[in-house]
Amino acid sequence: MSEERSSSELGRADDPAEVGVAQLVALEEGLAVALRARDPERALAELALRPELGGLGRRVAAISGDGFRLSALLVARLRFERLVQGSDDASAWFDRDPGGFAAAFRRYHASVPASALFPVDEAELFSRWCEDAALDP
Amino acid sequence: MGRRVGVGFVLQPEERYLGLLEPVFGELGDYFEIAPETTWWAEEDGSLRTNGFAERFAELGERWAPASAVSKPFVAHGVGLSLGGARPEDRPRQRRWQRRIAEDHRRFNFAWLSDHLAVTDIGGEAHALPLPLVPTPTVAALVRRRLAELRSIVPAVAVENAAHMFTFGDPLEETELIAGVLELPGSHLLLDLYNLVMMAENMGFAAADYLARIDLSRVIELHIAGGSWSPDGWLPSGRSYLLDSHSSAVPEAVWSLLEQVLPRCTGLRGVTLERMEGTVGEGDVRAIEAELRRLRAVVEASG
Repeated sequence: MSEERSSSELGRADDPAEVGVAQLVALEEGLAVALRARDPERALAELALRPELGGLGRRVAAISGDGFRLSALLVARLRFERLVQGSDDASAWFDRDPGGFAAAFRRYHASVPASALFPVDEAELFSRWCEDAALDP
Repeated sequence: MGRRVGVGFVLQPEERYLGLLEPVFGELGDYFEIAPETTWWAEEDGSLRTNGFAERFAELGERWAPASAVSKPFVAHGVGLSLGGARPEDRPRQRRWQRRIAEDHRRFNFAWLSDHLAVTDIGGEAHALPLPLVPTPTVAALVRRRLAELRSIVPAVAVENAAHMFTFGDPLEETELIAGVLELPGSHLLLDLYNLVMMAENMGFAAADYLARIDLSRVIELHIAGGSWSPDGWLPSGRSYLLDSHSSAVPEAVWSLLEQVLPRCTGLRGVTLERMEGTVGEGDVRAIEAELRRLRAVVEASG
């Protein structure tokens, strides 16, 4: 018996055990984008309709909009903290112009995938984005 | 002979936190808990090196070692392993992390290793926030596979119950996912009682219903902590959620749950008080000391 089939207690009629890795990967990719979207709830609703999710679409459609929006806020907040921890320039910008920095960060977060694990790598990503956007932090 | 349950405290990578609290956790903690990745930084090729906090934590372990040992014991509690992630492209990163954990284990000799029942590397992005898993057999199998790999490094491994703001359906289904994961022999549950209280409050279920669905004999560690409510203005609806912020005193609901579950966790080895860096000032030290003393009293009273 395969390992995937040994968890007999899991699975429901509307979300059967045949949920596969490909569907889960599609779900993860869609959620990653939706969590950085300017309107996370709307992005989530669009994700629920994507055919590659199969039966998982019903589970996505049932997600709490408030809960998802709050998760998106927390994701942004953690990235913000990672950036100011890793970048003296970003930290100084935030200190002298909080509103301007927050606006720039929102644009950065929406347009640049969060591929950095550590503060110094987030700082490097942000620095490159500022160069491309002709911003001087 | 009765079981021996230790009292632990989390070491965070922040000098102010460590400086303020060292006399407290050094004196009152039986073991230290660390997140391995807080002691790393990444080279350009992705290889992982230790930062200064690996040395700092090791020094603290040696300084506060019991008379019979060279160091206070350490346990590892990660955030970013992404145990439930489905992307095959994440495998190289996971292997790098496993190699790094193996090196850390040689230094810290972790008594056990845990991470969240969650995904953090999602769609190729490192969102840092543990995100919920779909409770299906496929996901349970993915988590078992990663735990089995980690168990070859640290013999005792565990998953922690979630602290999410949303779920893919009935939040009590997580107990089925946990049961599926714990089909792996020798794996354990890290039961975070604050997470349970938080989820019950936010999702509208009874913590007792959750506890009735899990095998408490598989719990190796308990976490207790306190949190805060999200500000009213964060959501257009005005709704507030209890957050997993580890930023304040342990609420009475968590202490009450602790007293209820302690006698039923027959395989328990430790109860850890969690606190987040950036949340501790001079005025908090005495309160945290009192919490550790209370925790020890509760553990000892449970037999």
